Amino acid sequence: MKRFAFPVLAAMLLAGCAAQAPQPGTVVAADRFSQLVVPGRTTRAELLAAFGPTKSVNFDSGYQSWLYSAPAGGGRSEELVLLLDRDGIVRKMRRRPPYPTDPQR
Amino acid sequence: MRRLIGTVLAAACLPAQAQDAQPAAAPQTVVVSSTRDPVDKSYRKMILGMERFERQHALAPQATLRFRLLPRLPTVNMRGITLKVVGDRITVPVPVAGDNSFVLPRNEQALREDAAVIANRKTTSMTWRAQVTTPGLPPDTRRLGDLRLECLVGVEAGLVSNSSPLFGWISNALNSPEQVCNSPDGNFLFFTERPLFSVTLRAGERTEILPFRMLYAGGEQTRDMLAYCDCQVMLDRTYYAPIWDRSWPDDTLVSFDYMEDAPAAAPATVEGTP
Repeated sequence: MKRFAFPVLAAMLLAGCAAQAPQPGTVVAADRFSQLVVPGRTTRAELLAAFGPTKSVNFDSGYQSWLYSAPAGGGRSEELVLLLDRDGIVRKMRRRPPYPTDPQR
Repeated sequence: MRRLIGTVLAAACLPAQAQDAQPAAAPQTVVVSSTRDPVDKSYRKMILGMERFERQHALAPQATLRFRLLPRLPTVNMRGITLKVVGDRITVPVPVAGDNSFVLPRNEQALREDAAVIANRKTTSMTWRAQVTTPGLPPDTRRLGDLRLECLVGVEAGLVSNSSPLFGWISNALNSPEQVCNSPDGNFLFFTERPLFSVTLRAGERTEILPFRMLYAGGEQTRDMLAYCDCQVMLDRTYYAPIWDRSWPDDTLVSFDYMEDAPAAAPATVEGTP
């Protein structure tokens, strides 16, 4: 019994440590996103009002990175990533299109 | 070193009767020249990492190998770090450069004595990495073959400290350099010099931006989880590179767009200007 206990325990611990499947960001319409989001001007409050909360990462510096996604056809989506500064202003934006080599979800 | 520790432990564990049986003998003295923390870096392992670099140098034929110390805790002072290789009877100082990188000297006696590589900082306050650098690359870029070799050397050398001791022991038992570096689930983290916004791969005509899930340790780390990640204080400098994906050649350029532009260089002083 003891022989089985350790591998089972180890597997459970490792399963607990394994990275969770990444959550996609809130889905938005790409056109509306492009119209409303202007780096250097758009604020956190405006993003929340227009598109709602989404997946984000907070850094010790006070910066945040936010991820939205937009349908790109064929069941694929593009990533819309924003960098918000300490004052909650969008500083940078990038769009990542789907690539043929992306794993199918 | 291990022999010494074993001797000390054995002496400490002798039953009282055995000690009482030698009342007339002079007290025994055990000289311990240094102590070894279980999480100190193994000199033998780091040398194995250097040998791995030589064996797989074709991944980065022009590159040189250094090791580098990086902050693991917010409180650690990364200035003025000194480093030495410490065995039972030998101590070899290791010069540390201003960027906290160093070259590990090869010393047969230190190898025989199973020496440790010890910094003048609490070991758990820093993380260690191999640094494989091809000279002459464009600014703010790395070469994918260099990163592949950094992973192989780093895992072989036992540098990564991504888990609690228990989890680290388990993962070390399960993960060889090939398992870690050739798998999309290898979870080997790389760090940039400054906070990162975007990473782009370029190989010939092919260009791809890395997905969000490959930045910031996957973007899934809670504050509690960060304590077990050696990206703890470098989350905004952390990324995964697709080192396992052989469709990207070793010469692929990995380029970085940072959160903030580089600080402007100080204006040059012109002689004679008032």
